[in-house]
Amino acid sequence: MSKSNDNRPITAKRFMKELRRYEKGSVSRRHFLGVTGLGTAMAVMGAAMPSLWPGKAQAGDLGDRLIFSTWPNYHDQANLDEFTAKTGVNIQVNAFGSNEEMLAKLQAGGTGWDVFVPTNYTISNYVALDLIQELDLSRIPYYDAAANNPKFAGPATVNGKVYCVPKNWGTTGFVLNSKEIMSSPKSWKDFFDVTMGAGSGHTIVHDYQLTTIGAALCALGYSFNSIDPKELAEAEALLIKSKPHLFAITSDYQPGMRSGDGWMSICWNGDATQLHNDLPEMEYVIAADGGEIWTDFYAVPKDAPHLDAAYAFINFMQDPKVQAREAAVHGYAPTDSRAIALQPPSLASDPILHPAENLMNGLEFGAAQTLTDPVRAEVMARFKSA
Amino acid sequence: MREDRKSGRWLTAALLAPTSLWFLVMLIFPLIVILVFSFGERAAVGGYAGGFTLEQYANLPSRLKAFQNTLVIAPAGTLLSLLVAYPLAYFLALRVGRQYKLILLVLVIVPFWTSLLVRTYAWIFILGGRGIPALLEFIGIEGVRLINTPGAVLIGIVYGYLPLMVFPIFVSLEKLDKTLLEASSDLGGSPFKTFIQVTLPLSMPGIATGCMLVFILLMGEFLIPAFLGGGKVFFIGNALVDLFLQSRNWPFGAAVSVTLVVIMLITVSLYMRMTLRSKTGRDESLM
Amino acid sequence: MANSTSNSNEIDIEFRSVTKRFEDVVAVDNVSLKVERGAFFSFLGPSGCGKTTSLRLIAGFDQPSEGDVYIGGKSVVGIPSHKRPVNMVFQQYALFPHMDVADNIGYGLRQRDPKPARQEILKRVDQTLEMVRLSGYGKRRVWELSGGQQQRVALARALINHPTCLLLDEPLAALDRKLRREMQIELQTLQREVGITFILVTHDQEEALSMSDRICIMREGQIIQSGSPRELYDEPINRYVADFVGKTNFIDGDVVDAIGPLVSIKSESGQVFSGSQPPGAPPIANGNKACVAVRPEMITITNIGETSNATNITINGQVVNRIFLGEHTEYLVATEGCGEVMVLSPKSIESANRSFEPGDHVSVSWGPEAALIIGDT
Repeated sequence: MSKSNDNRPITAKRFMKELRRYEKGSVSRRHFLGVTGLGTAMAVMGAAMPSLWPGKAQAGDLGDRLIFSTWPNYHDQANLDEFTAKTGVNIQVNAFGSNEEMLAKLQAGGTGWDVFVPTNYTISNYVALDLIQELDLSRIPYYDAAANNPKFAGPATVNGKVYCVPKNWGTTGFVLNSKEIMSSPKSWKDFFDVTMGAGSGHTIVHDYQLTTIGAALCALGYSFNSIDPKELAEAEALLIKSKPHLFAITSDYQPGMRSGDGWMSICWNGDATQLHNDLPEMEYVIAADGGEIWTDFYAVPKDAPHLDAAYAFINFMQDPKVQAREAAVHGYAPTDSRAIALQPPSLASDPILHPAENLMNGLEFGAAQTLTDPVRAEVMARFKSA
Repeated sequence: MREDRKSGRWLTAALLAPTSLWFLVMLIFPLIVILVFSFGERAAVGGYAGGFTLEQYANLPSRLKAFQNTLVIAPAGTLLSLLVAYPLAYFLALRVGRQYKLILLVLVIVPFWTSLLVRTYAWIFILGGRGIPALLEFIGIEGVRLINTPGAVLIGIVYGYLPLMVFPIFVSLEKLDKTLLEASSDLGGSPFKTFIQVTLPLSMPGIATGCMLVFILLMGEFLIPAFLGGGKVFFIGNALVDLFLQSRNWPFGAAVSVTLVVIMLITVSLYMRMTLRSKTGRDESLM
Repeated sequence: MANSTSNSNEIDIEFRSVTKRFEDVVAVDNVSLKVERGAFFSFLGPSGCGKTTSLRLIAGFDQPSEGDVYIGGKSVVGIPSHKRPVNMVFQQYALFPHMDVADNIGYGLRQRDPKPARQEILKRVDQTLEMVRLSGYGKRRVWELSGGQQQRVALARALINHPTCLLLDEPLAALDRKLRREMQIELQTLQREVGITFILVTHDQEEALSMSDRICIMREGQIIQSGSPRELYDEPINRYVADFVGKTNFIDGDVVDAIGPLVSIKSESGQVFSGSQPPGAPPIANGNKACVAVRPEMITITNIGETSNATNITINGQVVNRIFLGEHTEYLVATEGCGEVMVLSPKSIESANRSFEPGDHVSVSWGPEAALIIGDT
């Protein structure tokens, strides 16, 4: 902004002079808004009343909005609001149920998304399909590659280029209501046995092929990531057999668990923390016979319309302080050691956020081929329509 | 004279052009695309990859349950909406004083100003374990499961589609010549007989329109079954959402769409034939 | 039905102090009346006078706010229309558009409990179709019929039920003039045939006069005068009735002599007119405003000074218009001091004397027995 701008209110005469200059094109819009104080007024108004904000907008260089596609229960609204207050950029959040859904939208084109949150195993696919762009890390100063465990951050780099930065990591196990389910199931096999036995009618599985088919595969003793048609056929049979005993097939399982209708659900560990914090009887289990370990990333689609805002947002979210605040709300562990250091000891030692290494021995990162495998997709679709 | 007629024809063409173009671009063209796609193959990473195969149509039986659900629940939902909407429309058209009519009609539409998604989401909590079942438990009826059942989907349908059913019926009852009801009564018809013999047949156009609107839209419904059926009450609409938005199997999705369109055309034309045969009055058009 | 003919004095319909209010509006105001069985009775008056409401009170579509309505000697207050032994022919006929002619006509029979056999209904429908001269029209859709045919279907639909009383609400209003004449005659014939009470509501005085045995003239919810057509025509009790029933010349004035058998009034021009007061009219006193009413056919038109009778009242004037009506010739004469006077001169006299042209100076005259002195209201 112009240095000539002091804090005294502008006089009418000077205002008109500046307006003339602006009209004649001899000063930039930024200069005009800065000098006259209209910029600040508009930024404040825009933050307070987003609907008043015009389509093409004027708060600095970032534009007025950002379209952000992510997962349910995955953010602290206070942090998003803070970003908006700081930048004047309003965030439109879309919550998705599966990576497949995100891929389908991006493949169809014209999403208008600026930032989205893909899971580790999808990155190489997105790169191969030319759907996401390489990141200019100089624009994300808060990101520190050295602070991130390569086990989690690894998939961000494809062919030597960095396409995204890590958000959180976690595990996929199951949550159960210990008031209703006394048999303390320990494995996916137990999970399906209880579903078709004592807990019939109260189990929720995800509307997401990776975790739901993966759980069935693990229960049968196969790899979470199997794409073997025979093994998948067995998994399909198990799922279809259990379907009458399910309460729901949905990735938004918190409402069902909270209402008391659901007693057990395939679950991401952060949701388990959220549930457990409110309802202590909710217990999270990392299945003994396998499951998923994953990292989610911030990525920018190729055709992101508000690229500057996208970088600003990702950088904001990489701030270790913000990361720590986020984790305190959503219950997923940061991959960034600086953020972990900022967490209160209760969280840093929380067994749901940071389970013992030996518990995670059987867990697999999702494999890239599961995302596009037609058999897995069709197994899931047939299971749902059965 | 000839010049006049010629320019008149040009004018007609010019006036019709935007509509025709709209139909072509928004209806005919997409239909052709879908038809072409339905004979293609799924690309390796999803989407459409040319070719000509009947494989997609051969795979239709794998979605039999979805077709069955839709073809049972859509008519049932239409019927139920009718049963709920008719008394409401009757009350509004024939029993409510002029001064209250407008405000009550507005109240019927007001929910339409909110997204169906939001309203359906509210029903998840009403029908869920902490909602109506908890109330029932309170009065001693235990173990009632509402959410994620076909019943919950039907409730959601009736709720969501009620205005679409109420309005056509209201209009047909509103324009019903009230002296016909007096004439029936004068000739000895009790209120019930008058309703059966005069009111009901003369409101048939409204009933037909309402049922048509609701039925056609229900055949493509996916939001209500997804939310209130918990993924367990699966409509063709849900199968389509899955195919296009999850498994990205466009050709199979296209084949399912084409089948749905064909089924709809058949039902609708049967229905039209039926209602046309029992056509009630001179100016009572269907719509 | 045919045995209850008009010479019995049984009362079919009776109103006893009936009042009907719609919120603030008094539609029928303390009306009492009796209709004899088999009569052809008319309610006559302008729109909004309460005549249709009266009919609806009989039909049972409305219930009186006060008073009692009797049908066949029994109070029917509170009894809904579908339980009353009367039937109505509606102004726009109110035929059921979704039924054919036969189904419309048989509608009333089908509502009976027990319902008559199908064959019986068909037979009765055919008979009734024949009665209204529509044999063979049973399968027609009602909207395919002409106005007159629809009218007859409406009649048949009502009459098939053998009501004790048939109510007709402006039944001829929707027909053209020629058809209206025909239907008037047809209705009268029909009424004689079936012998039941007909109650007609009309604003057309000609229709009421030509068809009815008795007419009840209403204004603002009240009965102004009721009587036979002749009584109403010859002895209207006030200016409203005289004006409504037939054509009349009025000359305003102040009463100067109300003592004798004849009443005299003095017009603004100073001329004194005498005439009798109609029976039943409210008494009149010296100084009251009143008018003399003379029917146009009672007035003779002559050359000036040719008046035949010395007792006659004579006014001079000038012919301003002449209308040839076939049977009669109608003159409009601008008189000296008494405004325009209408004269209806029968053809017989016309040919015996001579006819007058507009511009001719003439005398108009009438005998005192032809003049009525009536109150202003």
